[in-house]
Amino acid sequence: MPRYELALILKAMQRPETAAAVRRTVETLMERGAVVRNLENMGERLLPYKITKHNERHSRGTYFLVDFYCAPSILDGLLNHLHRDVDVVRPTVLKKEEQEPKKNQQNRQRRDEKTRQEMKR
Amino acid sequence: MLCVRGLQRLKAIFYLPRNTSHRSLTSAEVLPKDDALLKVENLSRESKKGCMLCNVTVDFKNIQLLSQFVSPHTGRIYGRHITGLCGKKQKEISKAIKKAHSLGFMPVTHKYPEFMKDPRICSIKHLD
Repeated sequence: MPRYELALILKAMQRPETAAAVRRTVETLMERGAVVRNLENMGERLLPYKITKHNERHSRGTYFLVDFYCAPSILDGLLNHLHRDVDVVRPTVLKKEEQEPKKNQQNRQRRDEKTRQEMKR
Repeated sequence: MLCVRGLQRLKAIFYLPRNTSHRSLTSAEVLPKDDALLKVENLSRESKKGCMLCNVTVDFKNIQLLSQFVSPHTGRIYGRHITGLCGKKQKEISKAIKKAHSLGFMPVTHKYPEFMKDPRICSIKHLD
């Protein structure tokens, strides 16, 4: 399961430039010893509000989601690097919640209910 | 003279108009005829229904879902008495909305126009 998730908002650019920016970001991740699990493109859309970054006011952006495993010590340096990148509007690293598979959840619920009933008696 | 008045008053008290339409209480009518013990539904069953998001995972990326719990005019998050969610889910939704705001996924002061026509989950009446 992924440990961290990078919600990346890139500047609205032409396709080859966007591809280059994504490639650059992923290579930075891998250089620092992260294992990239999944990369999702959520498309280019209007930003919910105008964001000012690197002396530029952005109204449109391309959204990407990168799931990766990494050591927590590299996150600081990574965020620093992403903030300095001119093409990146807003980088955010989030911890990904470990979700239990649904079957286990149901079994656990049944077990909890049983113990609750026994406690009542 | 005075005692006549007094007697008249006493008469008025004794001859109060009696409402004959009221049924008098007899022991036979106090107890219902059917069951002495009324059957009440098991009240603990009501809590098992759960709120509308009981089996739905709340995610900050799912802004369409989150936008349904936000005012279309101001973008404010609706309270528990309006959304009808249970404590856990209300907190999750609230946290996800605030996360989406800060990440740049969801607008803060309004709602995305494409989500304005979504079905209204919350029990709030807008003066549209």
